[in-house]
Amino acid sequence: MCGGRGSRAGPLPGAGIGTLARPLKRLQRKVSGGCGGGSSRGLLSHHPAGDSTSGLVVEGRERGLILLFYLVFYGFLAALFSFTMWAMLQTLNDEVPKYRDQIPSPGLMVFPKPVTALDYSFRVSDPESYRGYVDDLTKFLKSYDLEEQKNLTACPDGALREQKGPTYTACQFPVVSLKGCSGVEDPEFGYSTGNPCILVKMNRIIGLKPQGKPRINCISKGEKTATLSTYPSNGTIDLKYFPYYGKKLHVRYLQPLVAVQVAFNTTSTGKEVTVECKIDGSPNLRNQDDRDKFLGRVVFKITMHA
Amino acid sequence: MAQKTPEIYSVELSGTEDVGKTDTGDGKEKYRGLKDKRLELKKNHQKEELKKEVDLEDHKLSIKELERKYGTNIVTGLSSTQAAELLARNGPNALTPPKETPEIVKFLKQMVGGFSILLWIGAILCWIAYGIQYFNDKSSSLDSVYLGCVLALVVILTGIFAYYQEAKSTNIMASFSKMIPQQALVIRDSEKKTIPADIRLLSTQGCKVDNSSLTGESEPQSRSCEFTHDNPLETKNIGFYSTTCLEGTATGMVINTGDRTIIGQIASLASGVGHEKTPIAIEIEHFVHIVAGVAVSIGILFFIIAVSMKYYVLDSIIFLIGIIVANVPEGLLATVTVTLSLTAKRMAKKNCLVKNLEAVETLGSTSIICSDKTGTLTQNRMTVAHLWFDNQIFVADTSEDHSNQVFDQSSGTWASLSKIITLCNRAEFRPGQESVPIMKKVVVGDASETALLKFSEVILGDVMEIRKRNRKVAEIPFNSTNKFQLSIHETDDPSDKRFLMVMKGAPERVLEKCSTIMVNGQEQPLDDSTAEAFHTAYMELGGLGERVLGFCHLYLPADKFPETYSFDVDTVNFPTSNLCFVGLLSMIDPPRSTVPDAVTKCRSAGIKVIMVTGDHPITAKAIAKSVGIISANSETVEDIAKRLNIPVEQVSKRDAKAAVVTGMELKDMSPEQLDELLTDYSEIVFARTSPQQKLIIVEGCQRQDAVVAVTGDGVNDSPALKKADIGIAMGIAGSDAAKNAADMVLLDDNFASIVTGVEEGRLIFDNLKKTIAYTLTKNIAELCPFLIYIIAGLPLPIGTITILFIDLGTDIIPSIALAYEKAESDIMNRKPRHKKKDRLVNAPLAIYSYLHIGLMQALGAFVVYFTVYAQEGFRPSALINLRVEWEKDSVNDLEDSYGQEWTQYQRKYLEWTGYTAFFVGIMIQQIADLIIRKTRRNSIFQQGLFRNKVIWVGIASQIIIALILSYGLGSVSALNFTMLRPQYWFVAVPHAILIWVYDEVRKLFIRLYPGSWWDKNMYY
Repeated sequence: MCGGRGSRAGPLPGAGIGTLARPLKRLQRKVSGGCGGGSSRGLLSHHPAGDSTSGLVVEGRERGLILLFYLVFYGFLAALFSFTMWAMLQTLNDEVPKYRDQIPSPGLMVFPKPVTALDYSFRVSDPESYRGYVDDLTKFLKSYDLEEQKNLTACPDGALREQKGPTYTACQFPVVSLKGCSGVEDPEFGYSTGNPCILVKMNRIIGLKPQGKPRINCISKGEKTATLSTYPSNGTIDLKYFPYYGKKLHVRYLQPLVAVQVAFNTTSTGKEVTVECKIDGSPNLRNQDDRDKFLGRVVFKITMHA
Repeated sequence: MAQKTPEIYSVELSGTEDVGKTDTGDGKEKYRGLKDKRLELKKNHQKEELKKEVDLEDHKLSIKELERKYGTNIVTGLSSTQAAELLARNGPNALTPPKETPEIVKFLKQMVGGFSILLWIGAILCWIAYGIQYFNDKSSSLDSVYLGCVLALVVILTGIFAYYQEAKSTNIMASFSKMIPQQALVIRDSEKKTIPADIRLLSTQGCKVDNSSLTGESEPQSRSCEFTHDNPLETKNIGFYSTTCLEGTATGMVINTGDRTIIGQIASLASGVGHEKTPIAIEIEHFVHIVAGVAVSIGILFFIIAVSMKYYVLDSIIFLIGIIVANVPEGLLATVTVTLSLTAKRMAKKNCLVKNLEAVETLGSTSIICSDKTGTLTQNRMTVAHLWFDNQIFVADTSEDHSNQVFDQSSGTWASLSKIITLCNRAEFRPGQESVPIMKKVVVGDASETALLKFSEVILGDVMEIRKRNRKVAEIPFNSTNKFQLSIHETDDPSDKRFLMVMKGAPERVLEKCSTIMVNGQEQPLDDSTAEAFHTAYMELGGLGERVLGFCHLYLPADKFPETYSFDVDTVNFPTSNLCFVGLLSMIDPPRSTVPDAVTKCRSAGIKVIMVTGDHPITAKAIAKSVGIISANSETVEDIAKRLNIPVEQVSKRDAKAAVVTGMELKDMSPEQLDELLTDYSEIVFARTSPQQKLIIVEGCQRQDAVVAVTGDGVNDSPALKKADIGIAMGIAGSDAAKNAADMVLLDDNFASIVTGVEEGRLIFDNLKKTIAYTLTKNIAELCPFLIYIIAGLPLPIGTITILFIDLGTDIIPSIALAYEKAESDIMNRKPRHKKKDRLVNAPLAIYSYLHIGLMQALGAFVVYFTVYAQEGFRPSALINLRVEWEKDSVNDLEDSYGQEWTQYQRKYLEWTGYTAFFVGIMIQQIADLIIRKTRRNSIFQQGLFRNKVIWVGIASQIIIALILSYGLGSVSALNFTMLRPQYWFVAVPHAILIWVYDEVRKLFIRLYPGSWWDKNMYY
């Protein structure tokens, strides 16, 4: 990687390819032995300054040698680097990363995917203002399509689903449990009616086994300007979706989703609400970290204009 | 001297009386301004003036003319109002102290010098970047503000450190920086007086002055009222400020005071001679330019690339800062300072006190040494060198302790001679020095008598006891008209009632008084052949540059001079002719015993030693020959002419290797002729030179691109000391003005100490090369991450703060440790470096550090980085172009290669782990780098892996600091370090070993094929 840069910056000022080519060929014959140290006897006897032609030849030869040296040297370095990287990759497991210590607990993320900050803003009367959100949700839920899910297993509820392999199956996620946010009944996900849906998902972590009864608990912060409804009811995340076995083994795995639907109070003047969702009910899923604002929780704001 | 001082008052000088205070004292401060104006005017002409001979007319004037000129009367002096007026006009009689650079200026210089400017730019860019960020988004993170502060802090701390180092070394010298004290120096029983101003002598009585601080002549000069020489420095009727009156009394008229005195002129002009940049300062500047050039050009190049790759300008600025920080070896200049001061300490132990740190290296690149004779090459004391008696020349031991006097002492003549030496001598040891070795005892008496006293004390034992047994009954002291000294003694033989008259003096005068000569203890008539023998011996000893004394005696017949006879020295009621000549004795200020060896060393080290002295050419040449400045087999043009018996003009100049040039000859030379002289002759002695000429010689040498060292002790030397690339003052004999002007002070006044200094200076240059090579190497490993980050979009492999922890943390002690490395080969056997060709940082050094080892390091560190990411879930392929998503704060479900999703903070933490990994990767390889940098040419095994223990301290410090950063401070998030798994510390080890092996191969080829293209391109 750096090698490419280096060879460009090699000490070959102004040496044209043409002038180098000939001496280089001759050199290659001579230097076949190694790094070129052995060739010095014939090449480097100093010519008197007056003999300009042979001086040029010597200079050309030296430049050639240097060029050759850098080719060999950087070639060697590149090969070495490739080899060590290859060797390093051999230590990896295709299915599971070697260490998972840096993600002990999952983060929470919302859909539609926010563009910059977690700030949703739209105008009920203007479909263009929420088109992006709706498209994003539709796209995201595409893999949750009934058609897509038909080959998946219908798993029993309420228990961890540990598998031994060699093949791992994924559980169906009944998208209908998201009720009005499933996109089935309302392809606009409530945006057109002023009751926007936000999907909350828990980050995938290989081998994570939540304890207790994990659920997503969403509250609106500050003034009570809106009522929140969560689907599935109570925001439950079923344990049957855990543990996750990784992209390669656990093909077509669907992670459980929880939808939050916001209904603004008709009385409230400001159509704006800040929602905080947290993982609850599971002692090994952390939801409070000073530095990581997304570890087991997520805060987002919805502003709705008339 | 354009301005003549009309101030005058009578001053009486005497050996015994107190000198009247010469300054009226009032109104001293009020009129400073006036004087300063005048000085400024003068400064413009300083250099021209300096090279001119001193221009003073007053010595040619008669007393009447003088009175008229200065409007005074030599009997009544000036009226007090006149005096006050003159004081007002001319200022007090004191030298203006040299201007000091204000401390704050020195400090600020440290703040903006070197790389500081680059770092300041980096810091300011950081703040600007934050300002823009803040303007766009009030909640933007303070990271760039912190970084800016850290950079500013780095600059300020390194600045303070450098300033502190400077101040420390200046303080050592503070004790020397007092100006010439204006007070009487009480040195002996008979007092020495400092002459308080330049005076024209009006009446004298046996007055002798020591002008050595002005002219370098160590012999006392007699003073009289007559105008004897056109040159004011040579004439006898002028007494100079700050010179000392040794004996006699004199009255004179003050003609110049303060800065207008001859010495004042020289001293103040010396401070005006521009001090050239030291070679090492030039080298470091060159190096800073290279690195800054690389940093700025890569920075700007990648700024443009980043902008054209559609990065935000703000981000591009941050990259620019990263590239600058990565490229600048922040700790290096501080390291260089420490390294130099370590060497300075080492040199101080060897009696070379370095005033200016950079001078440490200057001495190493010295190619010409212009050395003083007296005191530096010689012992600065007269010593008996040869004796002539029984028609034979005997050699006396002139080594420092005199212990080995092997000449034949069985002859009866010697018995007589030794008696004369002992008795005809007024010098005495000062009492209370029983435990002091003879040669170190303080003697009251002049130089020749001291020499004779010590000589006889060494050979005969207690001289004072012998004198007591041979009681002195009469004495005629030496004076310049008689040119002899005579004394009459009772003998210690109780049966012999005769008086013994002993006499010593100028040989020809002594011989005139003799009619017989003693040979083998027997008196023989003095015939023509013995007289001839005497003359031959006299000429031979004189030709050696030695001062010859003749000795004779006479036993006064007991019948004519009975025991009760009363001798009267005024009427001379005793015979002073027809004496018996006993022998000659010659004295010289002998070379120090260590000097010949040191001169040989200089020669093999390619350093030309030139002697510049105020002494007589014959003496100068003799000393030059005896110390090897003129080697045994080389001849001067005059020598060849004498040998071939042809006129000097016919001798081909090419045949002569050596030249003795006098001040008079030098005066008539054009600069071109001087250049020719300096290049044509390898062995040159300048004799009878004036201080101004010393300056001309130094400039001549500098025109040859030589790095010139000049030694000196007198005030008169200070301009040359200042002009020289390195001025070396004598610590014992040196005047304060000389010490002030010098860069280095030889505490033992010994030329040989210069040679050890040269050795240290060369070693430090080599070791600085190693330090710089070591420090530059990792810059590539620090820079590549930024370049890859910009181009390939990897998550940032190493943070700016982490880089600072390498530059100012793990790397500092190791790079200082390289200063303790021993020389690889005999550095005193190679030529001094050419200051324009042999650079500290040359192309091979930069290329080898940057493009060979640096690149290998970068690869090694990337392996560690990729390993950490891959084992945590991000395979290398997934990392490419991940940067944008990776850094987005709003993306909290970034998928890795295994389908897991990461929040922003989890990624950030992984990024810091990556920083730590990259840091550890560089650190581990820097250990290998440190080991390979121990040598540039020899194998590590030739050099010895364990000889330099400090290297191991450095390695230990690297590892310990890294461990502390990772495991101790891993929880402090601002530092961006995390606890790294133990196994990651070893990932870069194979690369480290590879670096070692590669460098061993490089050195092997360099040793096997000297002069080959490999040697030319790979040896730094």
